Amino acid sequence: MALDYRKCAEQIAANIGGGGNVISAAHCATRLRLVIADNGKVNKAALEEIDGVKGMFESNGQLQLIIGTGTVNKVYDEFLSVTGASAASKDDVKAAAASKMPWWKKILKVPGDIFVPILPAIVASGLMMGLVEAIPKFWPAFADTGWFAFLDLVANTAFALLPVLVAISAARVFGGNIFLGAVIGLMLVHPALLNAWNAGKVSEVAQKFNEPVPIVYVQEAFDNILTDDEKLLLPGGGAEAYLTTLDTFDGTEADGKINPSLLNNLVTVERDGEKVGLSGKVWDYINANHTVSEIGGIKKWNLIGSLGISQVGYQGHVIPVILAVFFMCLIEKWLHKHVPEMIDLFVTPLVTVIVTAFVTFLVIGPIFAVLENWVLDGARWLITVGHGIGAAIMGAIYPFTVVMGLHHMYNVIEAGMIAQTGVNTWMPIASAANFAQFGACLAVALKVHNQKTKSVALPSSLSASLGITEPAIFGINYRFMKPFICGMVGGAVGALFATFLSGTNAAGEKVAFGATTYGVTGIPGIPAVNNTVMYILLLLIASGVAFALTWFIWKEEQPAAEKLAPAAPAAPAAPAVEVPTVSVIRCAAGTVLQPVKGNVIAREEIPDDTFASGVLGDGVGIQPSDDKVVAPFDGTISSVAESQHAVGIESNGMEMLIHVGVDTVNMKGDGFTCLVKEGDAVKAGQPLIIFDRAKIKAAGYSDTVAVLLTNSDDLEDVDCGAK
Amino acid sequence: MKTFEYTITDPVGIHARPAGVLVKEIKKYASTVTVAKGEKAVNALKLMALMGMGIKQGDTVKVTVEGADEETAAAAIEAFFKANL
Repeated sequence: MALDYRKCAEQIAANIGGGGNVISAAHCATRLRLVIADNGKVNKAALEEIDGVKGMFESNGQLQLIIGTGTVNKVYDEFLSVTGASAASKDDVKAAAASKMPWWKKILKVPGDIFVPILPAIVASGLMMGLVEAIPKFWPAFADTGWFAFLDLVANTAFALLPVLVAISAARVFGGNIFLGAVIGLMLVHPALLNAWNAGKVSEVAQKFNEPVPIVYVQEAFDNILTDDEKLLLPGGGAEAYLTTLDTFDGTEADGKINPSLLNNLVTVERDGEKVGLSGKVWDYINANHTVSEIGGIKKWNLIGSLGISQVGYQGHVIPVILAVFFMCLIEKWLHKHVPEMIDLFVTPLVTVIVTAFVTFLVIGPIFAVLENWVLDGARWLITVGHGIGAAIMGAIYPFTVVMGLHHMYNVIEAGMIAQTGVNTWMPIASAANFAQFGACLAVALKVHNQKTKSVALPSSLSASLGITEPAIFGINYRFMKPFICGMVGGAVGALFATFLSGTNAAGEKVAFGATTYGVTGIPGIPAVNNTVMYILLLLIASGVAFALTWFIWKEEQPAAEKLAPAAPAAPAAPAVEVPTVSVIRCAAGTVLQPVKGNVIAREEIPDDTFASGVLGDGVGIQPSDDKVVAPFDGTISSVAESQHAVGIESNGMEMLIHVGVDTVNMKGDGFTCLVKEGDAVKAGQPLIIFDRAKIKAAGYSDTVAVLLTNSDDLEDVDCGAK
Repeated sequence: MKTFEYTITDPVGIHARPAGVLVKEIKKYASTVTVAKGEKAVNALKLMALMGMGIKQGDTVKVTVEGADEETAAAAIEAFFKANL
């Protein structure tokens, strides 16, 4: 009876005080090794009783549960998913069993794991969006063309609907069904919900929910933004009379409020025989001077009493989406385990989606809404802290809010500033932070040797210079962490510098340094600022600091094999690596090159019954004319005989045994030097074993080298012989 | 699940040739066979892993047989160990 891995893992989790009590989890060949936070919560007696746990002891601060070979890894996988540890981290544990990652690092790593697969989408879109949206800053007429509208649509698709991409990738990382993940992602940006980007705009909220706007707002707007000429042109002969008309236009009594659709349609003036809409200007004024809560806030769907769901989407969000999908995967897996197979197909997805939807909109969403408000209030307060300290801190932590997906709310702060003082002093801080990430990413792009990383880093840094930092942050800086931190320092320095600057307004007066619009940073921000020279200097300082720090502090992590190579005894021979040109075995999984020079003979001719019979797999023999065995393909060393005369190597499902001589095991290693050890990654042509032919002959054995695919039964189209 | 312990008497231990014949024997059965020495344990169908254990004469191995035909398989494999290893 096969063990129920899931149940076993759940019982383990239950008896160690739950997943929250696990600091780290790893496994070896037979044991699940756990580091426990509070040993008082561990029920040892119950642990030993669990079906599948064969024994238990504590050693080196680890709680070790003996589970067994071939089983422990499955229980471990389930244990990770039960306790909520990242599925991605299990590969790390396998790859680097020695370096046990603390839990917080694993959590920090999750966004990276999720973003790496979707990089192609966001790098391309980010760069394109940066370019497309930068053009109108320098050439305003472009914004009115069909070209701009269409290119902008293409460019911002990935960002506007980012939660969908994040949800799909997260579902894969957490081991859930990616299509259910997609449904959750799509639900979060459903058009029936108010677009989250607009949640702070009175105009959008009013129009979405058809919420009447106090007519005084319109009055204020008329007073402040319309020219006398425009006021006179209003239908009815003047602003006041017109507003009274509007108030009663919807057929109701004068209630001091105006329906948003009316405002949209009716505020037009005739000028030179042409109708000119003023509603855009009016709305802009209202947005900058009034908050959404003044008109009743975002509407809810009431479920039970006052418990309801805010009708707002999650555009631009990352963390709530990841949490929602993480939760979805938990439910889905649990249901798959507990729902009878017959009804699993419709019950599990249905319940998964419904439960996830409720939890997301009722719990995760509201918690984040509160968090967002804190961040917003905190940011507003922070930049008022004197002597540039607050600005510097904001410049440093800004990219963190990008990781959290909170940065889109800053438009509210910016719009408020422009309304109050006419100068957006937030923009230089955001620009410093963003441009510093550009600098850090550029340093990585120029320094890194790995072509794949370089090909991501370069376009990502370009995109960041245009103000779209997500590709640089998620694809490079945050992933490697050090560049991210260097970027934070650059952002802080740049933001601090900004506080010492001043600019000039349109009237030539000296005012605070900042921008006159909002929503732009980086290079496209140049035409928007009131002191161009200093702004460019600011960008150079922020990115320069980040670039220099990254350049000196960050070091590319070498793959393990490359790191080992110089230290290995084979190093002196390394420059002379010769990749063999003759293949001896070919199959669907790959090609085996001739690992030792000499005469290739058929397997049946190897002077040993076991090898010749094919019990150990199909292959060839080689009568060596050289004393060096080299790797026949790129692969991993799977075993090295204690007596150094045989080596196993694996790659792409091929398991190969290279056995030097017949009965040479009896020489107990004398005359053989194996240059690799189990687990080493090797490249075709890399020397593996050096052997002494004279000694083999002297010991009375054949020196024929057996080159065998030990799992040739499982491989397709195996063809042996020199070619 | 059936287990038995066996002390290797073959002078070269479980090396290429003995390992090969052992794998061939185990392939006859549907059960999963695990060979463990001390803390290290491997799936006995994996020839390379088996050889990598470096099991020598005098070593005691613990063999675990688990699967539908574990009764017959365990008996046959134990007999095989006694006869060949």
